[in-house]
Amino acid sequence: MTSSERTRAEIHVRGAKKSFSGRTVVDVDELVLGDSAVEGLLGPNGAGKTTLMRMIMHSIPLDEGTVTLHKRDGSTITLSELPPHQMVSNGVVKSTQVVSDFDQLTILDSLLLALATPGDESPIRWKAERELAKKHEEEIRHQLDRFGFGNPNEVAGSAGEKKLLDIVRCLLLKPDVLLLDEPTAGLPDDITQLVMSAVRELALGGTSVVIVEHDLEVIWELCDEVTFMAEGRVLMKSDPETIRNNSLVVEKYLGADHA
Amino acid sequence: MKDTGRGVGVVGDDTPQETAPTPTSDAPGTASAPTADPAGRQRPAWAIPLLAAAVVAIGAFVSEFIAESLVIGATENAPLVLAALGFALLYRLNGLLNVAFTETVTLGGYFAIWITSTTGWGFAAAVIPAGILSGLLSVATYLLVFRPAKKRNVDGLELIVISFGLALFLRHALQFVFGFRARFFETPPPNTIDVLGVGVPSFRLLAVASVAVLSFAIYQFIRRTSYGLQIRALASNEGLAESSGVRPLNVTLLIWFVAGFAGGLAGAFFGVASAVTPLLGTRQLLLILLVVLVGGIWDLLGVVWVGAATGIALTAMTLWLGSDLWAQLILIVLFLGLLKTRGGRLTAGSKV
Amino acid sequence: MLDWLDAFLISGLFGVVQIIGLGLLVHLQMGLTRVANFGVAGFWGLGLYVFGILYGKVDWPFGDPWQFLVCAIAATAASALAGLFVAWLISDLDVDGALVGTLGFATVIFLLATAWSDLTGGAAGLGGLGFPYDAGPAKTNEFIWFVLTTAIVAGILAYVLWVHRSPYGRLLIAVGTNEPLARSLGKSSTRAKLTLFTITSGMMGLLGVMQAVMFRFIIPANVTINITLAALAGLILGGITRAWGAVVGVLFTVALFDIVIQFYVPLPQEWYTQAIPVAREAIFGLALVLVLLFRPKGMLGEMKRPQLMRRIHDFK
Repeated sequence: MTSSERTRAEIHVRGAKKSFSGRTVVDVDELVLGDSAVEGLLGPNGAGKTTLMRMIMHSIPLDEGTVTLHKRDGSTITLSELPPHQMVSNGVVKSTQVVSDFDQLTILDSLLLALATPGDESPIRWKAERELAKKHEEEIRHQLDRFGFGNPNEVAGSAGEKKLLDIVRCLLLKPDVLLLDEPTAGLPDDITQLVMSAVRELALGGTSVVIVEHDLEVIWELCDEVTFMAEGRVLMKSDPETIRNNSLVVEKYLGADHA
Repeated sequence: MKDTGRGVGVVGDDTPQETAPTPTSDAPGTASAPTADPAGRQRPAWAIPLLAAAVVAIGAFVSEFIAESLVIGATENAPLVLAALGFALLYRLNGLLNVAFTETVTLGGYFAIWITSTTGWGFAAAVIPAGILSGLLSVATYLLVFRPAKKRNVDGLELIVISFGLALFLRHALQFVFGFRARFFETPPPNTIDVLGVGVPSFRLLAVASVAVLSFAIYQFIRRTSYGLQIRALASNEGLAESSGVRPLNVTLLIWFVAGFAGGLAGAFFGVASAVTPLLGTRQLLLILLVVLVGGIWDLLGVVWVGAATGIALTAMTLWLGSDLWAQLILIVLFLGLLKTRGGRLTAGSKV
Repeated sequence: MLDWLDAFLISGLFGVVQIIGLGLLVHLQMGLTRVANFGVAGFWGLGLYVFGILYGKVDWPFGDPWQFLVCAIAATAASALAGLFVAWLISDLDVDGALVGTLGFATVIFLLATAWSDLTGGAAGLGGLGFPYDAGPAKTNEFIWFVLTTAIVAGILAYVLWVHRSPYGRLLIAVGTNEPLARSLGKSSTRAKLTLFTITSGMMGLLGVMQAVMFRFIIPANVTINITLAALAGLILGGITRAWGAVVGVLFTVALFDIVIQFYVPLPQEWYTQAIPVAREAIFGLALVLVLLFRPKGMLGEMKRPQLMRRIHDFK
């Protein structure tokens, strides 16, 4: 299978349809995500971006069609047949759109939770905690320092801190494909910059990143390629510059004053 | 321990159903078979009428079995349907799985005894006042416990534990008021009325009538009155209903009163059939829960039908197996299997 | 020997230790993982009865202590399997479904204990049990058994404390506080619940075994919801999310009634037969309601992860 090894994992969406109470929300004939390092998913509200992401993660079942993952080693797996919690072990990770955290757990807890394997989480493995912390000590310190978390032994307080923690958990899972749903919404500018540089770093390391984002500056700055969606369909896919100047995109989404 | 209030020995002393018929017991018509049988074997020509006689005998036996199951099951378990209906009102319309509801059942029995013994009224006259007292008790538990709990955002697991605690409290506190021992109604033995060849005590028919009247009234009330509209609005979308001003306290209090009323009636009917004990209501908890969860796939009337079907199945199995404990056991296992196969839809669907 | 110790006091203390043990296990299930278990009596009672039947009704080719060990292990395994099964039954249900599933299981055990009288002795009870050793007078034997049971419960406490300090405990808390988020991080919450129930139910079964030997006689009335609610009342009063919650809470509920009031408060003799046991249940019930309304986290309060994490790690 060496001939089919690829530099990045790709997600192929084929004939994927989803409707809620008779209204078609997503209807994508053919879409490949991951053929470039960082891809943006753009479109007006109700274009079906978040639904599509959830369909990829199979947290929403598809009415029709398939989602397949083409791994870096050349093997292929049908994501739309897997239970949601098996996405991570196949290298597909998604951040949550709404702010979501574990009420009782500290920041450090969250990082260790993301890092722990099922083996670490055995109900009878005596020294698991120490081994886990020791094995990942550098990485934990690196992430804590980089994002300037306050005290890692506290529970995340503000919505921004929770959001950031969510992204850091995703980074620690070392995904092959990372789906980010509005990762910088609600974050201050300096933190947004930090998140963007972390994402870029991850992409350089071979992860395929897909971003849904309303902050257009983030999209233009970060993405190598942009897919434009409206009314559940993929209308075009191209480099940011082309998308930005496309009349259809301007008309449907960006608004005349943007160009 | 579990057999007070149900089982086969409660039909009345002079009825032939006192002992549970099993497939081996003598049924009318089979008595002549043993003498005719040897003759039948020698002369094949006799075989056909004999066979016919056997079919008739088995048919008579089976139809008797069916008639008994239907009549006894439906009448004896009418209080279960009443209790399930009351429980379902709270569960579906107030979103609360209230374990302490069973204590309004228990206390309904005690209230009825208290009324008959202090006023000298007959049982039938005491039923409605007992229901009203239970309804008031139900309202009191809402105002004193569940409303404050909702206001403090106690939810899910904790709310169920609270209702368990309240049930435990009421079940034992009442013994300081009504005594530790089982209590019996000191009313004259009831008339027995013949239904499909099965003798049924009159109070059981009263229980069936209560189920019919109450479920019809509740159904009509919810479907056709403006209060009913508010109740439905409240149940389907609490937030929306609240913001559009639907949630007057009265609506909720009314639901709690009617639920407690149904529970109290159930308790009085359970109690008059055998005895009133502190465990009267608790013993019905699991059956009520199962009936409400499974019946709730449809609507409130579904609870009534599933409750009636459960009662009939329970009686049929009790008659067949000769043991109400095994009958209950089989029924619970069946229900739990259903719970698993229907999965989350069962519990999700039960709340409107 | 042991003249200073009242025989009833030993059985009172034994009961306290039992409830602490059950409370600790319920803490893992309901406090950390937030899976409702109202069928504690069933898992405990299954261990009690499986042990009683195997020990009392089967002709073993070997005597004690092997007979005890084999029966105890089988009873523990039976409860563990039942735990696995019930966890599977309720794994995709909400809290209402979990209530019905666990309560239904406990009722099935109770009904079996009552109805299957060939095997269980029915309502008349099952006897023929004894201590797997003989150290002389009954009181000495009972005292030794009490000490052994206390050691087992101390072991359970040590395990619970370890769980709080392990990635496993973190997984349980994550599943308990935000199951969808835990699943999105690749955690199989179903697997976590199944292993949890297998282990904790097995432990409950073992506690049932200890009970069977201590009292040498089993009746269905032993395995009613009251034991579940006693464990729950203690745990919630102490603090459902805290490792020491069950220990503290049970001291203020069961121990207060069964030790302090029974032995050290001079009350009229006739109260002890009915009034006090009934008042005990009423007050447990009231305690559950009042604690959950006014101090839902119990006497010990919130789970203190920050302090714990600071103690076991040195990230700053």
